[in-house]
Amino acid sequence: MAGSTPGSGIASVSAPTLAGAAAARPLRERRWRTLRRAARARLAPFGAAVMLLAIAVALLAPVLSPHDPLKQNLNRALARPDWTHPMGTDNVGRDVLSRVIWGTRVSLVAGFGSVAIAVLSGGLLGLLAGYAGGRVDGLVMRVMDAVLSFPPLVLALALGAVLGAGLTGVVIALGVVYTPTFARLMRGQVLAITAREYVDAARALGVPGWRIAWSHVLPNATAPIVVQASLSVAFAILAEASLSFLGLGVQPPAASWGSMINAGRGYLQQAPWIVFGPGATLFVTVVGLNFVGDAIRDALDPRLRV
Amino acid sequence: MARLILHRIAATIPVLLLVTAGVFTLIHLTPGDPIDAMMAESVDDSVKQRLRQDLGLDRPLYLQYASWMGRLLQGDLGRSIRNQEPVIENVARRIKPSLQLAGLAMAISLLVATPIGILSAARRNSAVDRLGTSFALFGICMPNFLIALLLIFVFGVTLRWLPISGYVDPWEEPWDGVRSLALPAITLGLALAAVITRTLRSSMLEALSEDYVRTARAKGLSDGAVVRRHALRNALIPVVTVLGLQLGTLVGGAVITEYVFALPGVGRLVVDAVFARDYPLVQGVVLLIAAGFIVSNLAVDLLYGWIDPRIRHR
Repeated sequence: MAGSTPGSGIASVSAPTLAGAAAARPLRERRWRTLRRAARARLAPFGAAVMLLAIAVALLAPVLSPHDPLKQNLNRALARPDWTHPMGTDNVGRDVLSRVIWGTRVSLVAGFGSVAIAVLSGGLLGLLAGYAGGRVDGLVMRVMDAVLSFPPLVLALALGAVLGAGLTGVVIALGVVYTPTFARLMRGQVLAITAREYVDAARALGVPGWRIAWSHVLPNATAPIVVQASLSVAFAILAEASLSFLGLGVQPPAASWGSMINAGRGYLQQAPWIVFGPGATLFVTVVGLNFVGDAIRDALDPRLRV
Repeated sequence: MARLILHRIAATIPVLLLVTAGVFTLIHLTPGDPIDAMMAESVDDSVKQRLRQDLGLDRPLYLQYASWMGRLLQGDLGRSIRNQEPVIENVARRIKPSLQLAGLAMAISLLVATPIGILSAARRNSAVDRLGTSFALFGICMPNFLIALLLIFVFGVTLRWLPISGYVDPWEEPWDGVRSLALPAITLGLALAAVITRTLRSSMLEALSEDYVRTARAKGLSDGAVVRRHALRNALIPVVTVLGLQLGTLVGGAVITEYVFALPGVGRLVVDAVFARDYPLVQGVVLLIAAGFIVSNLAVDLLYGWIDPRIRHR
């Protein structure tokens, strides 16, 4: 979706070897301008606040967590939310808020980790396919088509099954699922950029292929990748929650939002807070990240605004 | 049109081959030996060895793939380790609830999304539009299982209007059947409706800004007639594309929905097979789902060519 931005404004000035040191200032200015444009989006401040809060909570979980997330207290099982337990307690008396706080780490690691894997592997594969062309391009893209032929959650489920339950398996599985999107995007960018005159000029000057790819193609192709990555993090967090809900993510007694919701569904009548505490947190986080993604997209490529 | 069909089918074949290779490799990605993963440590080594021979796991990988493909072409997807029944029979038994769920969910999503998408675009920046876009955002950001649990909480636990689990075939008992599928179909339909609403709104906005719409208005046509007769017809084309692209999400959503509502469908079968470490069943079902997904995408591609003549002649 974000693939139709061959060489956006940022791109055309960020080729350091051609533009030289003089280009550094305009590049910084343009980045600031992009950031300011992103911040001006109506709901971006809310999204940014949610994202920063989530990151802070994940980093400071040991300090912020009011109780031990694993400590059971059967005398306080299924306790309603009160001042001691603002989100209540679960079926074995564990503090739901503390578990939600620790679960933030799992969600963010899964969201950012899987997208980082996808950006790296997809970016490299797309660069290889677009730059090498011919049979390499055909082979890489057919493999990507094959990966895209699986419904994402089914593929993640199957990969999770063979990689084993746990956060690492889920992060790798989701990374594989999202790789083709970035590979396609990067390939499209590379094809558009390699047709530009400055790449022809670099070739004519005898610059080696790897250096053209690294210094000229890659920096110019980053804008749509950044847009797609920012939008993908929210969906990766949702996918991790879904896999954890099914039992493939972080294993009990460790806390993750999806597994907490799954554990609480048996107590929906007596203690709905076990489900709706982590559920609301998950929803607000995903909404916030979506706003950030939308703002970045609108700032980098206003043509894609929905 | 015939050229388009042949071209699309030809492009599908290598992808299908790669999918089979991927699914075959999947079982060999298991750390260690799949048999060790499937069976307890206490099981006798001779039993494990016999099973390895039965499944052909003691042969070189390329031979295993060749014989697996040979069986596959004869319609043999292997047997479930748990119930020893062929994979195809396991799937055949479960496909009906899944198709009913998907069909009902798609109908609900179109019924919900079409008026909201049209109204949002026609009354841009009004309260109706803000409500419509908020609904779309809610549906996109809300995971299926949370929508399901909200619906269970409101309509099952609190109001007690609808059953929260189990399945009754609507062809046999229409009233109870539709009631048993209502909450799962609404769960799945709402998520899909959100995406369709967004797409329809943006494609309607684009269509409404076209010259032919201005001309229609200049001729004195009413707003309703302009939307119905001119804008909507063109705005529906991207919706068909999105419906095709959302098939994967629909299948993924069905896995979760069937799990939450204990529906005996294919999605539930995948989850059960994964947790039972029934690898031949996982392999077979995932392959069938992927093949179904590819064929559905092919159908959507062809449908797109049929709706929009420009695609046919490209």
